[in-house]
Amino acid sequence: MEQERGAEFSTRPNLQLQASTFSTYPEPTLSPSFKVDEGYSDDTRSQSEKELISDNVMMLPDWVLAQSEANRAELAYSLLRSLSTTALAGVVERLNPLLHMDPVVKLPPELTFQIFSYLEPRTLLNATLASRSWRSRILNSGLWRVLYIDEGWRVDTKAIRRYELEHSEALSPQTRKSRPRHSETDLGEPKHKKRVPPEWLNSRSIEGPSASDTNGHTSTPADYEGDHHMTDANDRVSLVSAEGTADVPTATILQLPSLLSPPLKPSLLMRYPDGTARLNWIYLYKQRRRLEANWHHGRYTNFQLPDPSYPEEAHKECVYAIQFEGRWLVSGSRDRTVRVWDLETKRLWHKPLVGHSKSVLCLQFDPSPEEDVIISGSSDRSVIIWSFSTGRKIHKIENAHADSVLNLKFDHRYLVTCSKDRTVKVWNRRYLVPTHEDYPRICKTGGATYPSYIVDLNEIAPSVLEASLANGQIKGLSPFSMLMVVEGHGAAVNAMQLHGDEIVTASGDRTIKVWNIRTGTCVKTLMGHEKGIACVQFDSRRIISGSNDNTVRIYDHISGAEVACLRGHNNLVRTVQAGFGDPPGADEALRQEALEVENAFWKAQQDGENADLGPRALRRAGYRTNTAGSRDPRDIPALGAKIPPGGGGSSWGRIVSGSYDESILIWHKDRDGAWSIGHRLRQADAVANAVRANLSEAARVAVAAQAQQLQAAQVLMTLPVARNPTQNTTPEAADPAPEQNENDAEPAVNDDNSDAPAAPAQQDNTVDRNGEPAPPLDLPLLAPALHPQVLNQAGLPHHINGRPPRPAHNPPTSRVFKVQFDSRKIVCASVDPRIVGWDFACGDEEIEEACPFFQGL
Amino acid sequence: MASPIITLTSSDGVDISVDRTVAERSVLIKNMLEDLGDSGEAIPIPNVNEAVLKKVIEWCDHHKNDPPTAGDDDDTRRKTTDIDEWDQKFMQVDQEMLFEVILAANYLDIKALLDVGCKTVANMIKGKSPEEIRKTFNIQNDFTPEEEDQIRRENEWAEDR
Repeated sequence: MEQERGAEFSTRPNLQLQASTFSTYPEPTLSPSFKVDEGYSDDTRSQSEKELISDNVMMLPDWVLAQSEANRAELAYSLLRSLSTTALAGVVERLNPLLHMDPVVKLPPELTFQIFSYLEPRTLLNATLASRSWRSRILNSGLWRVLYIDEGWRVDTKAIRRYELEHSEALSPQTRKSRPRHSETDLGEPKHKKRVPPEWLNSRSIEGPSASDTNGHTSTPADYEGDHHMTDANDRVSLVSAEGTADVPTATILQLPSLLSPPLKPSLLMRYPDGTARLNWIYLYKQRRRLEANWHHGRYTNFQLPDPSYPEEAHKECVYAIQFEGRWLVSGSRDRTVRVWDLETKRLWHKPLVGHSKSVLCLQFDPSPEEDVIISGSSDRSVIIWSFSTGRKIHKIENAHADSVLNLKFDHRYLVTCSKDRTVKVWNRRYLVPTHEDYPRICKTGGATYPSYIVDLNEIAPSVLEASLANGQIKGLSPFSMLMVVEGHGAAVNAMQLHGDEIVTASGDRTIKVWNIRTGTCVKTLMGHEKGIACVQFDSRRIISGSNDNTVRIYDHISGAEVACLRGHNNLVRTVQAGFGDPPGADEALRQEALEVENAFWKAQQDGENADLGPRALRRAGYRTNTAGSRDPRDIPALGAKIPPGGGGSSWGRIVSGSYDESILIWHKDRDGAWSIGHRLRQADAVANAVRANLSEAARVAVAAQAQQLQAAQVLMTLPVARNPTQNTTPEAADPAPEQNENDAEPAVNDDNSDAPAAPAQQDNTVDRNGEPAPPLDLPLLAPALHPQVLNQAGLPHHINGRPPRPAHNPPTSRVFKVQFDSRKIVCASVDPRIVGWDFACGDEEIEEACPFFQGL
Repeated sequence: MASPIITLTSSDGVDISVDRTVAERSVLIKNMLEDLGDSGEAIPIPNVNEAVLKKVIEWCDHHKNDPPTAGDDDDTRRKTTDIDEWDQKFMQVDQEMLFEVILAANYLDIKALLDVGCKTVANMIKGKSPEEIRKTFNIQNDFTPEEEDQIRRENEWAEDR
């Protein structure tokens, strides 16, 4: 064995392998696995051993075994050469399995974990069919956690911790007591021991040593936790849950799935023998995947706020602003109120919050106990700070701006508001002294102006400042003092976003600007939109905006380059939200991707292909290229971006946009990473579905009866009305937003700008049709349920998949003002006072069980 | 500047001389040398035999000038199983050697080699049917046909898109 075994060893290991096995025969089970300290160096693995034992090889004479390996190899080779080809082939066939060995047997769990982590979930699931030991290694919760996070999906780690703590017996102080009780109740324990297949236990004892000797330290605990226990726990819990939910007799459970370990279906919770509970990431992965499939295929149920049985709780007029978080949704309406909704019951939580004297245009809230706040802005120019939990008005900033407050955002330090008066203002949320780091830094060359009470920290020595503060010459700022006025936009500032130390604003002047919140200086200006911009979102990497030019655009935050332009709406895009699903470490990956695309561009240009900085040049030439994120060199809109065309992110990325064309578009990425329209949703359809799903039979009959009356009335009413068929007659508003919020005349809300060509004769619509300035607000309370589409569909079966046919063209009663989505739902505020939602859990109990732990993209 | 030569002793008692810089691709050896100082004595590598140790040293030698893997936690790990050409050739060995190299890389704490080894195995699994996987690794199918059927049906959720 001491001879030249270097290189040739690797090519002929199995001869050696065979020989050494022979020397240990006939006690093969002990030899390799228990010689822990000698490591694996010369020993074969049990697998090959089994092969040999079953292989029925005859015993070799001692003199052969006494030879060195090299000599035996020569001998064997000579012997083989003496055989006929057929016989040789037979030998090769018999030897072949010896050249193949099972990594799951050979390698400890932490290494197969790493191997599996490089593979796609589909490949892995497929590989679970290889054998029981493969299946149990692959169905490892930790592995699926990695896979989940790699998809760019997020979880609510707090919710997970909470849930695990709640369900862990061992972690509570009484655990010592509860332990024995736990094992008593745990009748499944002895049985599931039996259910662990013997092969599996064998393989465990075999891989034990290989695990410990490679690690240098014993790997038993990790091993234990990573695999064995989890399996047990999984088993047990699923057994319990199966008993609990499905009411299946225990006996049958033990018979059928007993052979599979882990059990056939993953369960949400796994319990370790010490009582600790852990969420099972296999379950989370599976349900998230199923949920995403529902998004992809457009499978959803609808709901409505308020529940259709409580129409009196609805806003009285259109809803401009919504935000939801967890169980709560807060809405602001043209009816001047702010309302807090319980998404579980779909009911109003407390009485409407009254305080604004005109439309509530924007709001943000934070329900956490530390914050407990709602802040709302209005066309009455004021901002009101409310207590979220009580609905009490805490503070009002009268005349916060010289015109409507169009949008606002806050974090724990600042409140930022933007207005139709073309300015942005920054306010402090807490008492603020000039020595505090959040105190503004005066910058005279920027576009910001500061009230006289703001101390210029550049012009006062720290010691003087300290002294002035001490003797009261300089006072701290009370909460909600104005810190600065940021000017620079040439038209109304319609939307804004606050992220870290940056403010991103979008204006009717067709530009987006990025500002530093400490100094108020403009960091950059993004151009590209061809009309005023109505909405903007910012996630530290990209800026996404929607405009009156009917497009959604995506910009690289760092370079300011436009990386995608999404065309699909045929009217102003009023609201947009994007989730790119960046997996951890995305910055580097995005930069790489961007670089690759750029290299491809230069190469294409060198090769004389028709790659020019396309779209813009082409557009000038009259082309309209789709630049929704295509990576074709000919489509590259800009160079130097730090993110790839389309903005990058995972394949699960999603953009939801809402428009004055009364539709909501769900965009997803096609195979090349370009954005395409996945589904077009309509508010009116959602109302119809929600009503159908929720109304009691009696209520439905009542609605139907009322509807018939109304329909009859409308037929009379609408017959003579000739609609203006001109499409898109919206005046090219420099600032789109004010048109709907300016005053109570609200010309824009229901001007004649419906996509009229689609309008068929059944324009049987509601009373507010012509002339009535407001949406159908003054209808009786049940009336919201009376839109014709409801009537037309009330009796139809519920199409879960796909949208029900749109029965008629409607006047602009469903212009979308605001959408928000999370992992399972989209909620929409529109001209219709009812807030509607699409729930992509689609009534599936398993998905719903997992949803509390999911976060959006 | 010539790097000093150190000696490693394999599990089967063979002394192998190697440049210190090459050997220090192994974090285990590097730490040992730092802790103990280079006494000139052979360092025992009790878990790796000569053949595997030589193979590992071959890899370390080829990669001795690689830039240090800048804190690449799992965060920057891209889901790619691309392997550079030299490494691919290097990994064209029989399965036993492959697994032994992986185990040795793990023991010696040579992250880049461990990654290459694991990716190589992952590539052997990719795109294969269960039957092909069994063939590749000489695995006995210990499922009943009914169980296989059940598992297949349970796995269908991953196909829906």
